[in-house]
Formats: sequence, C-alpha cells, structure tokens
Amino acid sequence: MEEGGVRRAPIFFMAVIIVMLVMSLAALILALVAYLTQNTIEYMNVILSVSAIALSVYLLIQMRRKPPSLGFETLKVSTVIKCVKCNYESVREFERGDYVLKEVGSCPKCSGTLHIYSIFREVKEREKTY
Amino acid sequence: MFTEALLVSVQQPAVQQDVMGWIFQLIWILAFIVIWIYGQRIQTTLMLREIEGSLVRLKAMRDRGRQMVISAIKEIGKPNEDPTARVDRLLEHVDIEPVSLDPTGIIRRLEHIIDVRDFRLKDEVRQMAPQADETQINNLTNVLEAALALNQIYKIVRHYYLMGKKTLSFYIILQIQMILPLIMRESEAFASALRAFMLGQPIGDGAGALVAARLMYGREKRLIAQDTVVSEIDLEGRKAYVIKAKGPGGNVGKPGEAIKQIIEGEEGRIALTIIIDAAQKLEGEKPGEVAEGVGVAIGGPGVDKYKVEEIAAKYKVPLSAVLIKEGIEDVVSTMRKEIVDGVEEAIERVKRLIRENTKEGDTVIIAGIGNTIGIAQ
Repeated sequence: MEEGGVRRAPIFFMAVIIVMLVMSLAALILALVAYLTQNTIEYMNVILSVSAIALSVYLLIQMRRKPPSLGFETLKVSTVIKCVKCNYESVREFERGDYVLKEVGSCPKCSGTLHIYSIFREVKEREKTY
Repeated sequence: MFTEALLVSVQQPAVQQDVMGWIFQLIWILAFIVIWIYGQRIQTTLMLREIEGSLVRLKAMRDRGRQMVISAIKEIGKPNEDPTARVDRLLEHVDIEPVSLDPTGIIRRLEHIIDVRDFRLKDEVRQMAPQADETQINNLTNVLEAALALNQIYKIVRHYYLMGKKTLSFYIILQIQMILPLIMRESEAFASALRAFMLGQPIGDGAGALVAARLMYGREKRLIAQDTVVSEIDLEGRKAYVIKAKGPGGNVGKPGEAIKQIIEGEEGRIALTIIIDAAQKLEGEKPGEVAEGVGVAIGGPGVDKYKVEEIAAKYKVPLSAVLIKEGIEDVVSTMRKEIVDGVEEAIERVKRLIRENTKEGDTVIIAGIGNTIGIAQ
C-alpha cells in the first residue's frame, strides 16, 4: 500500500454502491412520477431513496479519501539550546547526533557552556471543551 | 433524453405504475429476507473485510520496519556482510516466560531470562554492526525491538483473521475486530518509535529519566548497577541519591537493583524514596499532566518493582510516586512538548514532596524511570 496515495476502491463494493445509487434514483423518479400523475406524495419512497442516495455518495467519497497514515512520517522535531550561566536560549531543528545535555559550544553572550536543554515535537490538537 | 423518458413515464397508465410499485415492494421484502437469513454471515464478511484492511496496513508497517532496521544497521554499523538474513531471524525471536506453576523464585528466574534476552539481542546487534559504538548499539537494539513488536502484532492479527476466515466463527472474528482500534494505535506508536530510535531522539517514556538527568546535571556520577548511574546531590538541604539509566543510548537500566543497593548501603536510613515515571493517561486527560501517589511507579515485567517493594517494606521506607501522563502513542514516539513541560512541573513536585515530608539533613532517593534514549546525564 502506498503511503499518501489515494486508496483504490474494491470493484465489488463500487458495483454495490453504484447499483444502490441507481435504484434509489429510480425510486425517487417513481415518487416524482406518482406525484405528477396522481398528486400524491409517497413519503416512504422519498425518504428511503434520498437517504440511500446520501449514503451511496458518502460511501463513494469515503472510498476515494486518503488512507490513514502508517506512522512513519517525518515529524518536525526541535532542539532547545540553553546557556548554563545566563538566560540565553535558541531553538533549532533537530540534527542527527543531538541528545539532551549534550554540550554544543559556548554562549555568544557570556561565553558560558551551551547545552541541549530539550528535544521535542509539537503536536497541534483541537481544544477540547469537556 | 432523460426528460423525455420522464415525460413518457408520467404519461404511462396507472396499471403500469402499480406494477413498478409491486416490483419495489418485492425487492424490499427480498432484501428483508436476505438480511434475516444471512445477516450474521454478511456481518462476518464485513468484519473480515475491516480486519483485512488493517492487516494490509500492519503488513506495510512490518515491512517498512524491517527495511528500516536493515538500512540503519548498514548505515551505522558498516557490516562486512549483508545483515538481512540475521535481521529476519531476529524478527522471529521469542521469549519464553518462566513456569508459574511453582511461583517460588519466579522473579529471580524472570530477571535471568530478561537479562539473557537483552544480552543476546545486544550481542547480535554488535556482531551485525561492528562499527557502532555503545550508544548506537543500544539505539539499534531498540530499533530492532520495535520492528520485532510490529512483526509479532502482524502475525497475531493475521492468525486470528485466517482462523476466522477458515471457521467463519463469528466470535473469533468479533474478538479481533473489537480490539483492532487499540492494536492499530499501538502499532502506529511502534512505527513512529522506529524513526525516534534510529535518530536517537528522546521518547515519551523517558520523562522520568529526563527529570533525573536535570537534577544530576554537572554532578559526579557512578555506575551502580547494569546500565544505571547514581549521583549524590544536595537538594533542599537534604542528601539525595538521584538514579537514572545510563544515556544517551536507549536503556532502561536496573533502577530496582540500584534502589535496593542504596537502601541496603544506608541500612534503611532513607527518609523518602520518590520514583518518577511516565504513566498512561486516560482518554480526556492532557498529555504532560502530573499526578502524585504512593507506591512503586516502575512499569515493565515487574522485576524492578518487586525489588523496590521488598526492600522498602523491609526497612519501612516511605514510597512516593510522581507520574507524568501520556497517551499510548506518545510513550515510544519522540517526546512531545507537553511532556517536556510536564518534566519541569515534576521537578517542582519532587522538591515540594521533599520539603513537606522530610527534614533538613535527611537522605532521600529520587529515581527517574524510563528509556533514556537521547538523554544523557
């Protein structure tokens, strides 16, 4: 399965959905015909066919949506560097070989030792109200 | 054309409309009968399809994981021969638990098996990656373990899927289908862990180790147990032994053994033992939330937990726990910012616990538990 690609729908399910769509459209037309000829509204037919149309359209969209991720995506990871003496702090992208408490040179402000204070990734989540 | 057909249809006699109505009635009745008779069979088929979809994803994860292990070993270890066959053999590695019919001494036996397993895996990695240093060997072992877990999960799900397909047993299929979302979450966590382990990034499980690392930074350290370091520091006027696994390679160390040795060395004169660890949050809780409790907050197979409980009960040493909450998907993936913030709060909680529960001049133990990958000391 290709990551990031569009999912291919199974032929059988596609056929079932298309048959359902055609039948519900036919049912809707029948309801319309009945209304035009006999001036009666077949509520049951209308409700069933409209919901079947909605369901088949939804299923078709679902089948074409992007597949869920496998978890191998490259994440944006940040490295925070701090001076042990003053309050100097800088943030850069994570580089291979970084680890927390690694000494990475001297402070441009006070010439104190700079060390990696933390390494983290940021995740954006929707605020929950409950 | 469609409009013409509609107009023709409108002009059809009422008898023809009735026939169409009957056909539709018949279709509905037939559909009802089919669902009534074959309902469970249809449901079973649908569930099998859902499992099959997840199985395809699990296979993709397993294959990608295997490939990542091989490429990491080739890149870091510069092996003389192709490690593929050896990696494939290791991915089938199984651990056999000790017999529990006679539980006497089971912890000692379990510890022995865990030690042998760790040694064997590291030794295999060392042979496959001769150019790798100790930190890289530990990280590669972690990568291998994550790939192994993905392989095991894939094979178990495949077993239930094929068994369900073969027997068409609703209940076999139902079992696996019900826990499938949890299995997928766990598998995605392992997939994400592979990258973190390969790059040597700190993971969520290392929250406890990060607390200890911050406390012991710049102080003298010594090895107290296998892959475990201790540092004596002055904290809030108390003498504190700070323990963590030796980093920055992927290690969990032997915190239980370290705590046991310190308590015995001090002949039980320990005013408080504080254990800091990552804990699984409940849905709805925020990652990085800090909670306090009593007891031994050490996960894993239970060997370290048992050792600490035993020695603490013997000398009546009070046990406190500081927990940093995180989701299952955060435990083995790169540490989230919220967890780093939680670490800062946990340090403050540790200081408060010491101030409130001990006197100046007392001796305390602070143990930061977890995989210390990407965290030095």
